[in-house]
Parts: sequence; structure tokens; C-alpha cells
Amino acid sequence: MTRDELRAYIAEHYDGRLKPLKTGKYDPLYEVAVDKIFEVAKALKEDDNLKFDFLCNLGGVDTGEHFEAVYNIASISNNLRLDFKVIMSYDQAEVESLQEIWPAINWYEREMWELYGINVKNHDNLTRFLLPDDWDQGHPMRKDWDAPDFKRKPEL
Amino acid sequence: MRELRTEEFIVNMGPQHPSTHGVCRLVLTMDGEKIVKIEPVIGYLHRAIEKVMENRTYSQCIPMMDRVEYVTSMSCEYVFSLATERIAEMEVPERAKYLRVIMLELNRIASHLLFYGVTAMDIGALTPFLYGMRERELIIDLFEMTCGQRLTYNYIRIGGVSKDIPKGFEQKCRSALKVIAEKMSDYEGLLNENPIWLKRTKGVGILPKELAIAYGVSGPNLRASGVQYDLRRNDPYCIYDKFDFDIPVRYNGDCFDRYILRLDEIKQSMRIIYQALDGLPEGDVKNKKVKLTFKPPAGETYTRIENSRGELGVYLISDGGKKPLRVKTRGASFNHVQILPHFSTNMLIADLVANFATLDIIMPEVDR
Amino acid sequence: MGIIKKLPIYSEKFPGGGIVTTSLEAALNQGRAKSLWYLLFGTACCAIELMCTGASRYDFDRLGMIFRATPRQADLILCAGTITKKMAPRLRRLYDQMAEPRYVIAMGGCTINGGPFYYDSYSVEKGIDHIIPVDIYIPGCPPRPESLMEGCIHLQEKIKKQKLLDWQEK
Repeated sequence: MTRDELRAYIAEHYDGRLKPLKTGKYDPLYEVAVDKIFEVAKALKEDDNLKFDFLCNLGGVDTGEHFEAVYNIASISNNLRLDFKVIMSYDQAEVESLQEIWPAINWYEREMWELYGINVKNHDNLTRFLLPDDWDQGHPMRKDWDAPDFKRKPEL
Repeated sequence: MRELRTEEFIVNMGPQHPSTHGVCRLVLTMDGEKIVKIEPVIGYLHRAIEKVMENRTYSQCIPMMDRVEYVTSMSCEYVFSLATERIAEMEVPERAKYLRVIMLELNRIASHLLFYGVTAMDIGALTPFLYGMRERELIIDLFEMTCGQRLTYNYIRIGGVSKDIPKGFEQKCRSALKVIAEKMSDYEGLLNENPIWLKRTKGVGILPKELAIAYGVSGPNLRASGVQYDLRRNDPYCIYDKFDFDIPVRYNGDCFDRYILRLDEIKQSMRIIYQALDGLPEGDVKNKKVKLTFKPPAGETYTRIENSRGELGVYLISDGGKKPLRVKTRGASFNHVQILPHFSTNMLIADLVANFATLDIIMPEVDR
Repeated sequence: MGIIKKLPIYSEKFPGGGIVTTSLEAALNQGRAKSLWYLLFGTACCAIELMCTGASRYDFDRLGMIFRATPRQADLILCAGTITKKMAPRLRRLYDQMAEPRYVIAMGGCTINGGPFYYDSYSVEKGIDHIIPVDIYIPGCPPRPESLMEGCIHLQEKIKKQKLLDWQEK
């Protein structure tokens, strides 16, 4: 399946659940509603024509207006690639854990929780692991984060 | 008879340990000599590169990418440049593409030679280390004459490469490859049939195919478990579809297969470099439109390439400004450390070291 | 005879015999300077250059430098690579575990002041001299093996100048 065929297939079978976004370059990018995330991810993995069995990456994003969680998945058996994201407001930053579907996501979700403060429901081990154990300065990857010894590079 | 009772105890391995390749810490729960549970503790090299890059312009990001994975810096520079080029839908001169392939493959050979030496040293043989590093220096010399640095190159830039290769590069490159090809039989002769080596690696740390895919293992480790999946072939980037090369696969998934597969890959990389040197076209090496204050249009992409450890990816979001909104790097070693507890229990510490070494884990990619 | 001729200027030849006299200070310093065993403490990029220096082409052994994996047997911490806030207490502990006299070389920009991570990084310690005393700084990102070896030679010269009672005063 080429990228255009994949786009057409998704539009046909997942219409309404995966909403295409124009900002995605090269590989198709979709938006998924926060409460549908588990169901959609399960369907993408179990669909025999797609079979997305490989999780490439998950990253949290703070755009300055809202949080996003971007899932990058691939299929080894069918050789496909697809991205989808969920958009969350600052006061309701919570997604469902997908570790039942892709076990590899476990550490990525931990990292997202630790650096952005996006809560992950049903995660089995949501503990600190990148920052020091006695860290008490919040979630440093947020755009509005600041600390006394944190220096920003001055503009040239 | 008195009832015999045993107790489990905890051994702390790292963060300062010669065979954890940097600063990984493993908390091992032991039952006698057998490992019951492994808990990796990472973050000792968390340098916040992603945060730093959010406050740098696009061209300033490339030196930061060098430090994400310093053993194959070229591929890190390349993946960031490629992501930016995809967002900006930019053309790259043909000669620059060939130079990029030459540099990427040379760097892959250098990385695998380092792997060869360091793995053997971890398992207890010091001599291969000296052999591997000796030939690695020949490649480092080539990089040095091209861009002036030995480790963090800053050579592959957005829209091309920073400068053309100097006079005499091609000939020096060919002679270096010839030396390495000759020395390959030395490497194989030192270890491949060495009974101690075989005892330490054959049948040790078997990584099943299903587990590997579920936990996102990629690169040589995945191919050693019997999955023929190489992004140079499966998701071609640059001009890799023009070259003729094989994807080596092994099926046992043990330490020995992971080791031997990398030696096979060195030979394939050399084939690619010879083809690229033969077909090297004349022309520009940089897209002239890219200025220092370069602003790509708004857009986002996940770009992935195959580096010597596996899938190296960048999720780049541009909001149209001169600085990226978000750069998320994905290193293969992150998943390789994560999977370690799932197939390394019920073995000896010495075998865990062999396992850790042959997975070819490098910590900056994990912690970033 | 050749060896004796090459001995440093402060040693004198006994007339007619193979005995050399020198001060205790000079003998101790000579021993310390010429057998600096360093702790294998590579955290980041500089560790690869440290390995290159130890390997075939640059041959660190000719300066009398051999790596040790445990701080108990080491005289010198060659701190190669970024020290993060999470790693800083471990570095301090390793330093405390070493026997005196002990020396520290800060290799690379990150260990001097945070290097490329001075701005915008929330987790990098801005210089290891906040944690342990440093004898020699070697700039570079990463420094070349030649400059690392030059730094080690400077440290040897520094050791040769030290007074016997210096360590007790500290």
C-alpha cells in the first residue's frame, strides 16, 4: 500500500474516528478524540489490512495553547507508517494508556508524564525516571516552566 | 533435618560500571547467582537536548543533534536535516546526496568497529578492542579531513552538506576500505571460532521475534531475531534505492547472532560506499536558498532512518518561525534498555553483561 | 648509564657506584607522576575520545596511564563527559572513595561550565568544580586525544612540583 492508498483506505474505513490533518508532511497524520484513543489504536492494530504492530515513538507536545500527544506507529508486516495525535486542554491533560496494545509504549508514557505532566490512565508504573529522585520543580518541558538557576539563551 | 532457607538479595550495577556503556544503572535482584529481576534506572545522562533545541534556530540545532548519539553523529545530523527538508519540501543537490550516503555508511562501519572492540572487551577479551579501534581511526581520519572534527562533525546541513570533500578523499577512502576488508578476516579469526567466545555468546540471551516486535526493537537486534526489516530498504530515504546491497538476517536471536550480523553489515556498507564513490556526480553540494535565518513553513513530520543501532527518528514540529516548536528524538537504545528485563532474567550476571554489550546500547540515546 | 643520564637534574650520581641520591619528595613525586592510574569514568561523548586515546594509535600507556574500574585503585578521575544533576552525588561519592593523593582532570566543555548545555538545560550541572576540586581543565567538545595527553603531561608537571607536606595540610 502506498501512502495515498493508505489515506484512501483510512478515509473509507475509519471516517469520523481518524480526522486527517493538513499539517502532516510526508506521512499521513490524523487527529483522534481523547476518549476514543484506545478503541482506535486497537482497531488499527487488529485490522488485517493495516496491522500496525510496531510503535515507533510517542511524544508529548506543548504548543503554548494546549497539550498534544503524538503517536507514531508502523507496520512491519505490511510496511506502512502512520501518525495520529490527541489534543488535550491544559486542565484536562489525561490520556489512556496503550500498553496493552503496544508494550513498548510503557517508557514513552512515563517520559511524557514526567516531562509534561500529562497523566496516563491505567499505567502500571508511573514513576520518575529521567529526572533526579528528589526533583521538586515540576514538569520542565512545559513552555511556561521556569526555575531560579535556569538560563535562557539570549537573542542575538 | 533443619530446613534450608535462601534469601534474595539486591546487587546494584552502575551507574559507574565499565560494562554499562556509560551511565546506565541496573538494580538486580539475585537468588544466589541467578538474576530474578532487573530494574533499569536511567536518566544519569539526561541533558535536556530536546528543551535546548526548542530555543535554537534550525541551523543551531544540528550541533545539538550530534550529541544525541555521538557514535554515529552523521546519522543524527542527517535525520534532522531530512525532517526539515521534508517540511520545507526542499530539493537537495545530487552530489550532496551521494556524499551523505558515503558519510552515513562510513560512520556505520566506524560504529560497528567500536561495537566489535567494546563488546569483546566487556566479555573479557582485550585484544579485539585494539584491533577495532585501529581501523576505526582510518575512518575518523577521513571525517577529519572533510570537516575537521573527529567525533561531532556538524557536516550534514539542511539542504546539503557543509562543504565538498577535499582533494584525495576518494583515493584515501578506497585505500581505507581496502585495509578494513583485509582486516575483516583478522576480526573473524580472533573471535568467530574462539571456544570461550562461543561458550559465552551462543545460545545466551535469546530474544524471540514476537517479543522484539512488541517492544519496538529495531535495527541489527531485530534482524538477528529473524525479521528482515531495514529502513534503507523498507522505507527508502536519500538515494538508497539506487544501490545494490543485501540485508543480512540471522535467525537465532542470541548474542552470537547479534555480533556476527554486525560484521556482515560492515561488508554490505563497504559495497554501498564503493558504488557511491563510483557514481559520484559533479555539481553543487548545498542548496543555495538555505540561509542562516532559514524558516520552514508550518508543518510536522516523523522522520526515521536506519542508523547503526536501529531506528533513529525525529518528530519535528515547525510553526513557521525560525525555531522549531518541538523536536522529539527517538533512539533505538531506549527500547533496547526497556526490553532488557523481559528476556535477561534467570541468567548469570556475566551473561547479562554479554547481553547488554551485544544489544549495542548507548546511553545518550536513551536519556537524551 | 644511559638511564642515569636521563634522570632529572635534581638527582646526583654517587661516585663510582650505581646509587642515586635524591630527595624523598622528588622520588615520591616521580612515582606519583609516572604511574597515574585513572578511573574509567566516561559519561558522554568525551568517553569515546578517551577510549581512542587509550587504544592503538595514541597509546595512553606510554604516559603510565592505565584505566582502573574501581575508585579504590585509582589516583585520578578523568571526568570525561557531561555531569547531570542526577549524576553529581555519584561523582562526589566516587571522589570520596579514592585514596589520597587524588587528582581530577575535567575533560571537555561540559565539565568546565556545562558547555553546549549551559543555556536552556534544566538538568546539567554547570561545571564539575561545583562538586569536586579540579586540577586540570581541558577544553574542547570533545578534546582531541593530543590535547588530552597534553593535559595529562601538565598534570604530571604539577605533581612533580608539589611539596611533601601539601596533602597533610589539606
